[in-house]
Amino acid sequence: MSPTRARILAAARASQPAETALPPLPDFGGDASLARFSEVLASIGGTVARLPSLAALAGTVAELFPAARLIASPLLATAHPIDQQTPTEVLADVDLAVLPGAFGVAENGAVWLPEASMLHRALPTVTQHLALVLDHRQLVATMHQAYARLPNGPGGYGLFIAGPSKTADIEQSLVIGAHGARSLVVLLY
Amino acid sequence: MSYLTHAGRAEAFVLDHERTSWHDETLWYVRQKRDRAVYAVPEFQKLRELASQIKNHTLSRLDYYLAQFEAAALANGVQVHWAADAAEHNDLVLRIIRQHGATRVVKSKSMLTEECHLNPHLLAHGLEVIDTDLGERIIQLRAEPPSHLVLPAIHLKKEDVGETFHRHLGTAPGLTDPQQLTEAARQHLRAKFLAGEVALTGVNFAIAETGSVVVCTNEGNADLGVSLAPVHIASMGIEKLLPRLQDLGVFTRLLARSATGQPVTTYTAHYTKPAPGRELHVIIVDNGRTQQLGRPDFRASLKCIRCGACMNTCPVYRRSGGHSYDFTVPGPIGSILSPNIDLKKHSTLPFASTLCGSCTDVCPVKIDIHTQLYKWRQLVAEANHLPTAKKLGLKFMGRLLASPGAFKLSGQLARRGLRLLPHALSHHRGANAWAIARELPEPPRQSFRDWYAQQPSPTA
Repeated sequence: MSPTRARILAAARASQPAETALPPLPDFGGDASLARFSEVLASIGGTVARLPSLAALAGTVAELFPAARLIASPLLATAHPIDQQTPTEVLADVDLAVLPGAFGVAENGAVWLPEASMLHRALPTVTQHLALVLDHRQLVATMHQAYARLPNGPGGYGLFIAGPSKTADIEQSLVIGAHGARSLVVLLY
Repeated sequence: MSYLTHAGRAEAFVLDHERTSWHDETLWYVRQKRDRAVYAVPEFQKLRELASQIKNHTLSRLDYYLAQFEAAALANGVQVHWAADAAEHNDLVLRIIRQHGATRVVKSKSMLTEECHLNPHLLAHGLEVIDTDLGERIIQLRAEPPSHLVLPAIHLKKEDVGETFHRHLGTAPGLTDPQQLTEAARQHLRAKFLAGEVALTGVNFAIAETGSVVVCTNEGNADLGVSLAPVHIASMGIEKLLPRLQDLGVFTRLLARSATGQPVTTYTAHYTKPAPGRELHVIIVDNGRTQQLGRPDFRASLKCIRCGACMNTCPVYRRSGGHSYDFTVPGPIGSILSPNIDLKKHSTLPFASTLCGSCTDVCPVKIDIHTQLYKWRQLVAEANHLPTAKKLGLKFMGRLLASPGAFKLSGQLARRGLRLLPHALSHHRGANAWAIARELPEPPRQSFRDWYAQQPSPTA
C-alpha cells in the first residue's frame, strides 16, 4: 500500500468532524405517466414514436431512418454485427444504433441503458443517431425510483441517456449533436 | 510578493461595457432557467436538505468511505491510486500513460485536473492532450483558463469562437453560426476520439458501496473518449464520495437543475468495471482537502458538487467575469475554497461579494457560502493581508460607528462637506473607489436623528 494512501486516510480521520446521521431516502412518489415522459423528452430535444408491437420494429426503423446504411442492433436480424471486439473504424461508420432500454424516467426523459444492451460500450455515443426501444409499462416517476430499479448495482458500465447529445458552449445557443448521437428517438411498444 | 486584487483584474473585463452587460444578462438567464426547473419539483427544498445531510455524513466518515470505495473498486478490477498533491497526481497520470507507450490523450472536463495544472505537465512531456468538451476545446485553442465551472467559455462571444476556429480548425473567416461552429468542432474532435489512446475524465460522484465513478455530461464526450480508448484514468477529489448508489437519486435530481435548468444531464455514466482487456484507473486526490476538512468553519465547502449556481446568481461574478478570480474555481464557491490554498494570494476574493447571500440560497447542498466569505475576511485581516487603506478605513469606521457622538458629528460634516466639495474631489478615483462608476446620492438636508427629534411626541 502506498504511503500516500495511509497519509490521506490518517489526515481524513484526524480532520473529520463527529459523525452525523446518514438520512433514509424517501420515495416522493410522482408522475410516471407516458404523457409526462413524452412531454419532458420532447422538451430536451428527443422524440417518442409508438410501435404497434415489437414485431413492427424493422418496418418502423426503415420508415424513420430511410437513409441509414450501417445499422447496429441486437433486435434486428438484418443489422450489422457489432460486439466489444469490433474495430473503431467500423464503429465510426455506424449511422444508427437501435438498442433496448431497460426503463424510462418520466421526470427527465432519461432511459437506462445497461451494458448488456450496448453491443459495444462506445455504440450509444459513437452512432450518428440513436433509437432506444422501450416497453411502455417500464416507466418510473423519478431518479429515486430509477436507482431502486438497480438493486444489484449499475453493472460494469451503465448509462442514463436523456435526449440527443447537446451543447450550449457558444453564447448559450443550444445546438443538438455535439459529440454523441445527433438525434434520439424512443420507440415505445 | 504582491498580487493583483480581484477588482484590479476585473478592470480589463468591465472596460467593454456591452460585453459586461451581455455576460451579466446571460448568466442571469441561466439562473432563471434554474428557477423554472427548481420550482417544477415540489420536493426540491427537501432534496437540498437530504443532499446536505448525505454530504455532511460522508465527510464525517470520510476515512471509512474512502477505504470502502477503494476495496469495492479493487474487487471490480479497477486500479486505485492515491495522490497527496497536484505534483503526485500529475506524475501518476504521466506514468500510466507512459506504461502504455501512448501519446494521444483525450480529456473530458475535470476541474480537478485544472486545479492540478495537468495539461501543461503532459504537454511538457511531449504528449498530445485534447480537451473534448466544446467549451474547453475553445479555450484550450486560445490558451485561456476556464471562466466558469460548467460554461468554461462563457466569457467569449461567437465572433471570438469563429475567429479561433478559423485560425486553428480552418473554418471560413467570419463564420459565427453556433450550429456550424459546433459541427466543425464535432468533425475535428471525432478524429481525435477515434485515435485516442488514453481517456482522462473527472468524477462527479464516486459510490463507496459499489466502487463506481459517475460522470455527467451533455455532449457525450466523456463516454465517447472512454469507450474508444484502451485506458481510462478518472481523477477524483476525496470529497466526491457518496455512500450508496441510491444517493445518486438525490444528486442527479439536483445537479443539472441547479446548473443549467435541465431536468438531468444528457449522459449520466456509471463506470464500475473496465471493459474486458481494457484498464480503468482511479486517482484519489487530496491536494489541500483534508486541511479544509479540519477547518470547522470552512469544511462545508467540501460538499460542493460544482454546479455553478452560485456564480450564475452572484452580482459580482456576473459583472466581473470568471478570470478576475484567478483561481480554478471562480465565483463565490471559489472565493471560499481559494483562501485555504493560499490566503495571501487570494486575500481579496472573500471581499469580491456583497454578502447578499444569494449564493447560499441557490446552493443545492446548502453550503453557507456567504457566511464563510465573511469568516474568511476576518482571517485575512488577522493575517494582516488587508491593503493599508482598507485596514485603516475599517479601523476608523469601527471606532466611528461605536461612538454615537462621533457618528453624529461626522454625519453633519459629511452632509455639509458633500454639498460644498467640488464633484471632481468628492468623486476622485483615488480617494473614493466607490464612486468610480457611480454617482453619490444627493446628501439630505437633515439626518434621521434630527428629523426624529422634531416630531411631536406620541400621545400616551
